[in-house]
Amino acid sequence: MYAANAATELEGGFKTGPAIILISILCVFVMVGILFRAKDTNDYYAAGRSISRTGSGMAIASNWMSAASFLGMAALMYGSGYHGLAYVVGWTGGYVLLLILMAGQIRKYGKYTAADFIGDRYYSQGLRATGAIIAILISISYCVGQFAGIGLMFKWILGLDYMWAVMIGGAVVLTYTLISGMLGVTKNMQIQYVIIIISFLIPLFLLTYKFDYFWILPQIGYGSVVTDITNGIPSAEISQLVNAVGHDYAIAASPEFSMPWDPATGKTFFQWMAIAFSLMIGTAGLPHVIQRFYVVPKASDARWSVVWGLFFICILYWSAPVYSAFGKILSANPEIGKLSKDAIVVYTAQLGDIHPLIVGLLAAGGVSAAFSTVSGLLVAGASAFSHDLYVKVINPNSSPKKQLLMARIGTISMAIIVTMIAMLELGLIGQLVAVAFSLAGCTIFPLFLLGIWWSGSNRQGAIAGLIVGGIISIVSITYFVAGKQGVTLPFHGFISYYLEAWYFAWIGAPLAILANIIVSKLTPETPEEIRKFLIEKVHS
Amino acid sequence: MNKNYHISFFRPTTDRATKNRNMVLWLIGIWAIAIFGFHILMRVIEKPVPEPQLITFNEVWNDVKEGNAEDAALLKFANSTLHVAGKVFISTEHRAALDNGITWATFQLADSAQQAALLIALRDFEKAEAEAGAVTDADYISAKLKLGGLAQTILKLQPDEILAKILPLELKSSGIEALSNENKEIIETCMPFYTIHNRSVLTDTTFLGFPFHYFYSAVFLLILFIGLCWTYCYNVDQYNKKLGIEE
Repeated sequence: MYAANAATELEGGFKTGPAIILISILCVFVMVGILFRAKDTNDYYAAGRSISRTGSGMAIASNWMSAASFLGMAALMYGSGYHGLAYVVGWTGGYVLLLILMAGQIRKYGKYTAADFIGDRYYSQGLRATGAIIAILISISYCVGQFAGIGLMFKWILGLDYMWAVMIGGAVVLTYTLISGMLGVTKNMQIQYVIIIISFLIPLFLLTYKFDYFWILPQIGYGSVVTDITNGIPSAEISQLVNAVGHDYAIAASPEFSMPWDPATGKTFFQWMAIAFSLMIGTAGLPHVIQRFYVVPKASDARWSVVWGLFFICILYWSAPVYSAFGKILSANPEIGKLSKDAIVVYTAQLGDIHPLIVGLLAAGGVSAAFSTVSGLLVAGASAFSHDLYVKVINPNSSPKKQLLMARIGTISMAIIVTMIAMLELGLIGQLVAVAFSLAGCTIFPLFLLGIWWSGSNRQGAIAGLIVGGIISIVSITYFVAGKQGVTLPFHGFISYYLEAWYFAWIGAPLAILANIIVSKLTPETPEEIRKFLIEKVHS
Repeated sequence: MNKNYHISFFRPTTDRATKNRNMVLWLIGIWAIAIFGFHILMRVIEKPVPEPQLITFNEVWNDVKEGNAEDAALLKFANSTLHVAGKVFISTEHRAALDNGITWATFQLADSAQQAALLIALRDFEKAEAEAGAVTDADYISAKLKLGGLAQTILKLQPDEILAKILPLELKSSGIEALSNENKEIIETCMPFYTIHNRSVLTDTTFLGFPFHYFYSAVFLLILFIGLCWTYCYNVDQYNKKLGIEE
């Protein structure tokens, strides 16, 4: 690699303007958290069920648009071209499943948490506890990616060491989650959505305008950027256009960026399909997403909040590929050196010579995206810990005050665990988050799908499905961790390809559903009271 | 009312449930065909299409590999490998092998006077590169331009061409003497790897500036998902209203 490269220059030291923007935004978050703080358990878990459809949609979007969406999405397309679009399709297409198969029914079921649903529907305290533990594991896996994103952006803005950046960011997000509970978090999420989307879009208009593309709608205008990468841009043609370090806006013809499953990216057709499918069913099984439906007043609001949520999410998802395309051209010169993929959004704006304060706002938006998701995840994880494990299993007679205390202890414990894991730097943001999706797809999704739509699914079937989904998850994650440690296990190539950590749900979920159905058919049927509840309350 | 309280998605017992099931099946059908059907179709009709650089490379590669290449062949070899070295997806190992090929061919094509000048310029550039704090450093830029100027003349490149701009960055003094056997193997393997692409009418048609398939996945599918969700919510609300159901 070249001794002189632009990557180090782009990283830089402490950046005053961006730091002020970031600190101001964080202050707003905490203030909003204080103003709308939780008053009792009902507020803490489900925001008093007083959030409107658009408000809830905005909160779903904010909750969803994590560091993986804001930073990781562009990173995936920057690193693997068309293959990255499997994540765009997977992370949006799952909402169709979520809506038409689950959203309204989950709200009608009237429970607070995913584990609550599993425990009641499958009439088992053991399954409730298992559901809670899975929800906590999913939340932790998801949170680790977010904390990595927070660390990366704090590092860039404040010029801090990664470890300190993770610790400081984690402490701030923990503080306002604890103060506000979900009511404050939901209000925060609406504000965060606005900040996230504005900070993400402004540089796009500037980039497309500056490099002479259709800037009025960058999400369409960048089509020509993709075609330019495919066909190449000769320097002489547009020599007056340069990036921030003086390189021509030019690139050698690189069809590998846009062509499907191109060998140069190292990705295959199977992987594209498996990732898209796994992310979609994972979306419909994520506890913190499902939990959003408990905070709307009625089932129709739950449905419409998905539509609004998806629309708000798509605004960002239509935009993320623009960064990867511009990033490819602006960093095409080998002198740029190896850029951290997870920060390519910010580097692209820098290389495009966008004003530093706007780049700072963009980085603050990245932090905001991670914060909004982390807060939702911490609440979901804390709910699983206090409500599903402590109140429903360990101490059913606990007072509301004690329950709130346990929720807060759960939040703190999770934040500490996540911070410690995030410091290990196990992988890219997108990779870490995708593991959570496959885990949810293999475990929670089958339980909800069958639990809602088939009264024949019983406790024994649920246990069988969980065992199958759990085994596949454990095998995949074991091989993933072993690979990271440089250990080669038997059939490593085969397992790592077909059960890779970010798409093992493609087979895990169907097998878990099959096991659930077969065992349910062979064992005593679901108690009448459950069946009656399903038909009279959930499907009435 | 179902007296046994059994419920199954595929065996609805009320008109409302039947209507809901039919709508869900329609929507999931559209959803699945739009995502997976389209990509299966793309997979079925695609053909591996080589870039012109690979065809040029293949014409001269055997002679280059055997050490029998004449100047015209060496020039084609250098230009085709330089094109691949300038691509956006390239591994460090492959780039190093290509750099060896480009450097070796450039020196082979140079006459003795050019070789001497080129060697001095290359060493000056590598020294400047090691000492430079930034790519905007004046000494570094000056050394790069000098080396680039000499090398692009040998490879018959225009000064403002993209390949001419990256050429000095691909020249390495370690690769002057010979193209190693190990790097020959790597080059032979990696050239097709980077220059054969899966293409079809779906990838080669342009729509709103995009390659069509890219527009379809990055833009259209997301619009479709919102449309499917809106359709479902609207229909459920309408049906509930018709039956007077308040949820």
